[in-house]
Amino acid sequence: MIRLQNISFDHCIKCTVCTVYCPVARATHHFPGPKQSGPDTERLRIKSPELLDESLKYCTNCKRCEIACPSNVKIADIIQSSKWRYFKKSLRPRDFFLAHTDLMGSVATRASLLVNFFIKLPPVKLFLDLFFRIPSERRFPKYARGSFLAWYKKHRAEQEAFAERAVYFPGCYVNYNNHELGKDVVTVLNAMNIGVIVSYEKCCGVPLIANGYIGRARKNALLNINSLAASAAESGARIISASSSCSFALKHEYRNLLELDNSAIFDSLDYITRFIHERFLKGNLPELKPVRLRAAYHSPCHLERMGGVMNTIEVLKKIPGLDLTILHSECCGIAGTYGFKKEYYRVSQKVGAELFKRIERADPQIVITDCETCKWQIEMSTPYRVEHPVTVLARSIDGGKL
Amino acid sequence: MRRIETEAIVIGGGATGAGTLRDLSLRGVRAVLIEKSDIASGTTGRNHGLLHSGARYAVNDLESARECISENRILKKIARHCIEDTGGLFVTLPEDDPSYHGKLIEHCRYAGIRCEEIGVREALRMEPNLNPEILSALRVPDGTIDPFRLTSANVLDAQERGASVFTHTEVEEILRDGDRAAGVRCRDRLTGEKIEIYAGIIVNASGVWGQRLSASAGIELRMFPSKGSMLIIDYRINNIVVNRCRVPSDGDIIVPGDTVSLIGTTSKKVDYDRIDEITVDDDEIATLLESGEKLIPSVSRARVLRAYCGVRPLIAVSGEMDGREISRGIVLIDHEKRDAVGGLITIAGGKLMTYRLMAEMAADLACAKLKAGKKCRTHRTPLPGSERRVDQARSVKFFTGIPNSVVGSTLYRHGHRIRNILHREKRNYGLICECEMVTEGEIEYALKKLNVRDIVDLRRRTRIGMGPCQGQLCAYRAAGLFVKYDSATSDESNKMLVDFLEERWKGIKPVLWGDALREVEFGYWIYQGLFGLGDVRFEEEAEKR
Amino acid sequence: MRYDCVIIGGGLSGLTCGIRLAETGASVAVISTGMSALHFSSGSIDLFGYNGEGRTVYRPFEFLDEFVGSNPRHPYALCGARQVREALFYFRGQLDLEGIELYNNDESNHFHVTTLGTLKPTFFSQRSVFNEKIRLAFEKKSMIAALNFEGYRDFYPELAVINLRRNVLFRNIEIITGKIVYPDYGDPQRNPFEYRSVDIARIFDTERYLEELAVQIRNAASGAAFAAMPAFLGISNFKRHHKLLQELTGLLIYEIPTLPPSILGMRIDNALKSRFASLGGVYIAGDTVTGGSISGERLESVVTENGGGSALSAGSFVLATGSFFSGGLVSEFSRVREPVLDLKVYSDAERSRWYAPEFFPRRGHPFLEYGVETDERLNPKTGDGRRVKNLYCTGALLPYYNPIKEGSGGGVAVSTGYRAAELILEGNS
Repeated sequence: MIRLQNISFDHCIKCTVCTVYCPVARATHHFPGPKQSGPDTERLRIKSPELLDESLKYCTNCKRCEIACPSNVKIADIIQSSKWRYFKKSLRPRDFFLAHTDLMGSVATRASLLVNFFIKLPPVKLFLDLFFRIPSERRFPKYARGSFLAWYKKHRAEQEAFAERAVYFPGCYVNYNNHELGKDVVTVLNAMNIGVIVSYEKCCGVPLIANGYIGRARKNALLNINSLAASAAESGARIISASSSCSFALKHEYRNLLELDNSAIFDSLDYITRFIHERFLKGNLPELKPVRLRAAYHSPCHLERMGGVMNTIEVLKKIPGLDLTILHSECCGIAGTYGFKKEYYRVSQKVGAELFKRIERADPQIVITDCETCKWQIEMSTPYRVEHPVTVLARSIDGGKL
Repeated sequence: MRRIETEAIVIGGGATGAGTLRDLSLRGVRAVLIEKSDIASGTTGRNHGLLHSGARYAVNDLESARECISENRILKKIARHCIEDTGGLFVTLPEDDPSYHGKLIEHCRYAGIRCEEIGVREALRMEPNLNPEILSALRVPDGTIDPFRLTSANVLDAQERGASVFTHTEVEEILRDGDRAAGVRCRDRLTGEKIEIYAGIIVNASGVWGQRLSASAGIELRMFPSKGSMLIIDYRINNIVVNRCRVPSDGDIIVPGDTVSLIGTTSKKVDYDRIDEITVDDDEIATLLESGEKLIPSVSRARVLRAYCGVRPLIAVSGEMDGREISRGIVLIDHEKRDAVGGLITIAGGKLMTYRLMAEMAADLACAKLKAGKKCRTHRTPLPGSERRVDQARSVKFFTGIPNSVVGSTLYRHGHRIRNILHREKRNYGLICECEMVTEGEIEYALKKLNVRDIVDLRRRTRIGMGPCQGQLCAYRAAGLFVKYDSATSDESNKMLVDFLEERWKGIKPVLWGDALREVEFGYWIYQGLFGLGDVRFEEEAEKR
Repeated sequence: MRYDCVIIGGGLSGLTCGIRLAETGASVAVISTGMSALHFSSGSIDLFGYNGEGRTVYRPFEFLDEFVGSNPRHPYALCGARQVREALFYFRGQLDLEGIELYNNDESNHFHVTTLGTLKPTFFSQRSVFNEKIRLAFEKKSMIAALNFEGYRDFYPELAVINLRRNVLFRNIEIITGKIVYPDYGDPQRNPFEYRSVDIARIFDTERYLEELAVQIRNAASGAAFAAMPAFLGISNFKRHHKLLQELTGLLIYEIPTLPPSILGMRIDNALKSRFASLGGVYIAGDTVTGGSISGERLESVVTENGGGSALSAGSFVLATGSFFSGGLVSEFSRVREPVLDLKVYSDAERSRWYAPEFFPRRGHPFLEYGVETDERLNPKTGDGRRVKNLYCTGALLPYYNPIKEGSGGGVAVSTGYRAAELILEGNS
């Protein structure tokens, strides 16, 4: 049955440009391209859902097809919604664990030392490779001790004392793996005289959606919408996130893909560099100490799609001493949980090969990017270290070493 | 001049003519079909492809209704791969006369058509895109039938049993031998060659063109042409046929057909002299959009792909009446009895649904005159492609390596014959038409086996150029394949490319706005801006092959 | 966010304007919904190809000098013949800096061969389509080998050759056809029968297979001087590979554009974007300008779909949004409108007059001549008649010209884009 949201395929005039710019079609013959997988075959699937091609699964949802499309066809959305509408849900334990980050996170942070130790061991990696089909080349991000939310609770009072406040949605990565980034957000905002109200209910849902757990994703989304709306209303604040993927999901995937009403938070949502840049322009510019590094900036696919790469670049440009190269926009290939699956690993690496080459040619001291999964991918596939723009900005504020 | 002797000549390659050819061949009669353009290019190719349950006629024309339901059942068996058993609904809108609903139920019962009342909620569950304001719904065994596939399958069967087919060949004169019609003289419109064919019986199945044809034999046959226009929506906005439950009028049906939906129809009188120049008028488009929207609201947001019109083959047996109320009954004329001209019969009227019955009637009479041939078997013999029930899952498995969408589309069009078409060879399953998933293998098959003489013919057999792009990408590729498979010279190929694009243009013009206009601008930029096709100067005479 | 200039539309016209402005140090942002029409263009720049009677124009600048006088509403007239010349050669200079050499036949047009073997007059072409060597070899009536990759579904040389042979210019020139097989490049699963031009271009992105290809070309060409092939020689390394291939084969390698995507057009698109970025220009891809705020006779700011309410303001704006394909003009059941600011549009109220009765009409389709009306300074009017003095309309968005019938698409895009930049610079000084 036809959902109204999906009829953007109607605008497709078959110009083939999307297929030219699809990094997956370029990397593997298994994927015939976004035009064929999306608007072309959607017309057939409406008639007979059995005319479903396995090749759809190769789509990484990088959305570069939508960026290239001159006809405003939401090609990637069409492919994603076809995936979970027509394919049977995966019953693989691997996919379950990769998708349910809250579950994994809350368990792992309680025994982080142990988990981090085991997950690096070659025999464990081999086991995961053979029995769970998680490629042994993959490195898992370290788990932190306890959750970021717990840390925040100890500092809540002082944050609430600020006259102006912003609601911060940390996402799984900050909450379970990298508290330092969350603390950097606090550092930066406090330096701009803005307090941080951390509001975290559930994972934004990106890995759940990618693995077909739509029911769970919707539940999470509704909880998030309600809790964020409540926090924002309380402090009259904007809602920010430092993860480009979480931001994209909260703002766009919730309404376009999950078909939920997120109007309560839509207008208040900002990706963090837009929030910061707007205030810089209005004169709220904290004192910035030089950070003398040669850096290369990689723009994540979801940030390109959402718009706002410009903001990150402008914010970075304000940091004195930073020798910034903007890398040509390329997909890194990891596509969230996609790169953790053995059957897609080679494609994932082939997709990112162009980016890795460019980084090596630029030979920076650090790579900067807004997306945590891009960070894992680049750190695994190149010898370079990757940091979030907010982290670099935080060091520029507190003078610490990067 | 070439001369052929045979037992029977059938003039007209629509469903009726093709069906008659097939019927005669099944009875062991040697027959030849002559068609001035391509098969199914007349009324057969220009209707809404509805496999009637008959409910639409139940109230006014009980006999037609009964014929419909009986043929409906037969066709579902013998032409399986040409039919989609979608089911149908008759819905009453708030502004409609509620009493028609009851009348329909009653008359369907008389006609033997299963007509079941279902709740509005159930109707909306069956067809979520329906207007939620409907008051009531009736369920009937409507379906859809692809007229091209159907006609092509009939012709293929006949040819496999020894019949001959001449397409793009026009009858110039019916040759008389005293008080008998002895044969025809015709001309191949592509090569210019003239042929004389002699037979014991000539069946005029040329539909609305019969008036002109009979005149050449000195016979008066008055046709009452009525134009009907339709709009094609570029994707399937409904999966079940939706009818308006009221007295038949303009725009009261939306029929799904393969990957598109069709809003129909209108009814306008047209002069006989203009039957080859009919166009869709703006007021018809407005009416169809308006009434279509009342049944399925998303019509207002959908892209209209093209508009086309056909002429209803109504034969005025007596008097003058309004187009819609003349009975769509079948007319069989024995010209020996009526006009003292032996060896000629006319089969006319009826509708696509009843083609097989009409063919049976014509073949019965023809065989009686020839004093030859056995009994009719067409109601029991499946058409090529429908020999066995097609199992999509099994086919998909058999053709592992070829995407499901490609296998499924080819299977849908050719049924059981898919094994002759698809092979696990890269050249074979490479896509030529990406909108409708037409492979090079399918085109090769059509070129070699299905009487394809130009790209327009190819479109009818394979759906190439019938998707959203209307040939922008695939037309050039198809032209190239004609040369590759030696089905045309390079010059002919260039010319047929122009002809194909002009033919597509006829149907796009009336609806040139929105995405259709964008598509045309894109296509025109490619074919004229980039290729310069409009500047190609063709040879004065067609190259002989 | 504030810029000196915001350009709406990142195609040939928008980028030419952006480059000219960024070159002077101005802060420029280009916003583009998707990729531009360069992706299906011939990769040559058409200045003026056909006059009003459909006859070929041989010396376009001379023609232009007279033409602008009697066609004051034509975009070229809005620029003036002198500035058109300036714009075109400026454009060539910019592409040259990016390694794309454009060749012209002095003051005359030259012809490029199309997919169907017809000849189109054009002014600038890339080195694989026109240069001095090609011109000389053609004058000597050297043999041509039209070669194709086996199974490539987007090019059929037989269809081209028959039309070429019929052309009076090709009388006494021998033309043969031949096939090339793809090299064995390690991805045997791909279906070569479904390659698009980019797929072939990617195979030859490196020099790895050039030698092998050269051998095949030499053999298939059987003594011809030209090897005419569908465009495939890569997008970034084109210049080097073209030179190398010519050296290896000893033949002139001629490229013919085929079905989209157009490799030749993409080279220009890439070069323009790269030049713009190197001058500090900001290119925002995949975003759509949804409206703007006009106060008095000035456009103050625009908002975009992804901008979420935050406006982009600038001293000047350029609207280079293209024609219907690119979304610069929108057509509905009975009207044509400009979707960003609802500017005054020239069109026809009667939809049946938007098009010609045939698909390939002599006089062209009227809808190609619709667009946003402007004055001599490229300023448009709003729906209620107010002039917008800091907004400049350029390229295919403009009315009163038919890019296909005249053979003037590229030229109009470049010259009006350049003119807009000059007007803005003039206004600022």
